[in-house]
Amino acid sequence: MKPGGLTFHFHKVSDWAWLTGHIGYFWQLSRTHLYIALVSVAIGLLLALLVGCLAARIPTTHPPILAVTTVLYAWPSLAAFAFLLSITGPSDTTVIIPLSAYAFALLVRSVTEGINNVPDDVRIAATAMGYRSMRRLLTIELPAAVPVIIAGLRVATVSSISLATVASLIGVSTLGQLFVAGENTDFLTEIIAGVVIVAMWALVFDGLLLLSGRMLTPWARRVS
Amino acid sequence: MIRFERVTKRYADGTLAVDDLSLECADGEITVLVGTSGCGKTTSLRMINRLVDPTSGTIRVAGKDVTKSDPAELRRTMGYVIQQGGLFPHRTVIDNIAPVPRLLGASRAKARGRAYEMLTLVGLSEPMGKRYPYQLSGGQQQRVGVARALAADPPVLLMDEPFSAVDPVVRSELQQELQRLQAQLHKTIVFVTHDVDEAVKLGDKIAVMQVGGHLVQFDTPERILARPENAFVESFVGTDRGIRWLSFFAAKGLRLHVPATVETTTSAEDARRIAREAGTGWLLALDADRHPLGWLEVATLNGGASIELAGLRSLGHTFKPDDDSLRAALDATVLSPAGVAVAVDDRGVVVGVADHEEVTRAIRAASGRA
Ligand SMILES: Nc1ncnc2c1ncn2[C@@H]1O[C@H](COP(=O)(O)OP(=O)(O)O)[C@@H](O)[C@H]1O
Ligand SMILES: [Mg+2]
Repeated sequence: MKPGGLTFHFHKVSDWAWLTGHIGYFWQLSRTHLYIALVSVAIGLLLALLVGCLAARIPTTHPPILAVTTVLYAWPSLAAFAFLLSITGPSDTTVIIPLSAYAFALLVRSVTEGINNVPDDVRIAATAMGYRSMRRLLTIELPAAVPVIIAGLRVATVSSISLATVASLIGVSTLGQLFVAGENTDFLTEIIAGVVIVAMWALVFDGLLLLSGRMLTPWARRVS
Repeated sequence: MIRFERVTKRYADGTLAVDDLSLECADGEITVLVGTSGCGKTTSLRMINRLVDPTSGTIRVAGKDVTKSDPAELRRTMGYVIQQGGLFPHRTVIDNIAPVPRLLGASRAKARGRAYEMLTLVGLSEPMGKRYPYQLSGGQQQRVGVARALAADPPVLLMDEPFSAVDPVVRSELQQELQRLQAQLHKTIVFVTHDVDEAVKLGDKIAVMQVGGHLVQFDTPERILARPENAFVESFVGTDRGIRWLSFFAAKGLRLHVPATVETTTSAEDARRIAREAGTGWLLALDADRHPLGWLEVATLNGGASIELAGLRSLGHTFKPDDDSLRAALDATVLSPAGVAVAVDDRGVVVGVADHEEVTRAIRAASGRA
């Protein structure tokens, strides 16, 4: 099961003992990791809601907003890290800024798509009832867009948890630290532990979002 | 009163949707805009609540030019019901009905109380209030749409093909429901449909529109059916307009005859004698309470014992002279094996019969009056 070309040493103590001995360490890395990943998603979501609503309200702003998000989305994260490193140094901020931008780019699409998917007759009915456009957006269109936004949020969260590992390359200790250290010491167990823990957190938060989405939108549940 | 004064709407792409429309929708009446798809009905309706603004001309509601009002405030005084319901998917039925009172400043509790009243008014049960729109049938969704439109008790109700998307049985129920509500509430209703039958059934006045946004005829349903303005209206209302027109005349004016009758205990010999004396081949069989059972054809009788119930021919259907129209009486005549329609009172007791000649005479008298 060794990757071709690379040889890894195994420690004298059993790997299992190493793992159980480092649970505190994993937990500490996880906390930084999740803090960075989730704060980034939260910032991205907040901005996406603001900008997405703007795009929905003023249709002419829609194409330029989409163009900007495409650029953000395609921007190589390492280049962003390198650039920010020279300004903000090896801090959480250096990681949170590009991760937020990435989540934002993803979520703006969800928000605009969610709002645009609200059936026209719902929009017209609200207008005809005497809703002004801001109130209609906030109390009708946005809540009706929640299922689409949650779907986007799940993707953004999983991506963000995965991307936060990169932070360790610039010295911010996230779970990516396990890859960096494992690689340096040729210790396969540590790398595998890193992958498993990151995947586990991704699954946990995806599941939490799925459940809270179901709870937030009982109206979207279909009889099966 | 809603008044269209020389109203024209040309959309940005050049489409002339409404062309020089002048029309008055009287207070407390149902005015139906009817016409084929694309003739400008929806556009006309939407100019009343300013979802669309006219290119030229004026629309006045209670004398006031609608373009002088704030759109949102204007709309809160007009209920609007559309074909697909347009219910808010993320809100329960009650929270779909409550918004307009809320927008008008009612407290949450008061708006909800009002919403429950409306739910009952449109014939839905209270537990239904907690459901979400996806848990309702199409007909129930339309009822909620009507409840929502009525919640703030607006003087004006605008309805755009509200019953077109439901099946015929439910549609007919909803139409009756609307008639019942209107008898109670006396709203000024503008009702859009492409269905002539619906227009005739519901309208106090009907405006027939033609593609290009022209008003072709504006009249009572009786007159639209009896005196179509031109070939377009004539073909639009259909070939059986004469029969439908008869539904506007009460069967009350029919001169009923006393039928020759038999009871189940009558002997065949007596039945033949009764028929001979009355000069008819058909006898109406009654039960002990004088409810009609069916027609007995004298020629088919054999033997001399009692008449055979099994040999009775069906009545088709009966009619009630006090409630029904000449259309129902004519229909009963056509379906009767004896060619004679049987009139009954509210308890189902026979009050007389009318034959083809009598129905024809009544129709002639009615058309003379039209
Ligand atoms: N927003 C719009 N822009 C351009 N043309 C429109 C618009 N809405 C309706 N029309 C056109 O105006 C005409 C009348 O439409 P409408 O009022 O919806 O008719 P109806 O309700 O009788 O079917 C049609 O030809 C339709 O295609
Ligand atoms: Mg229409």
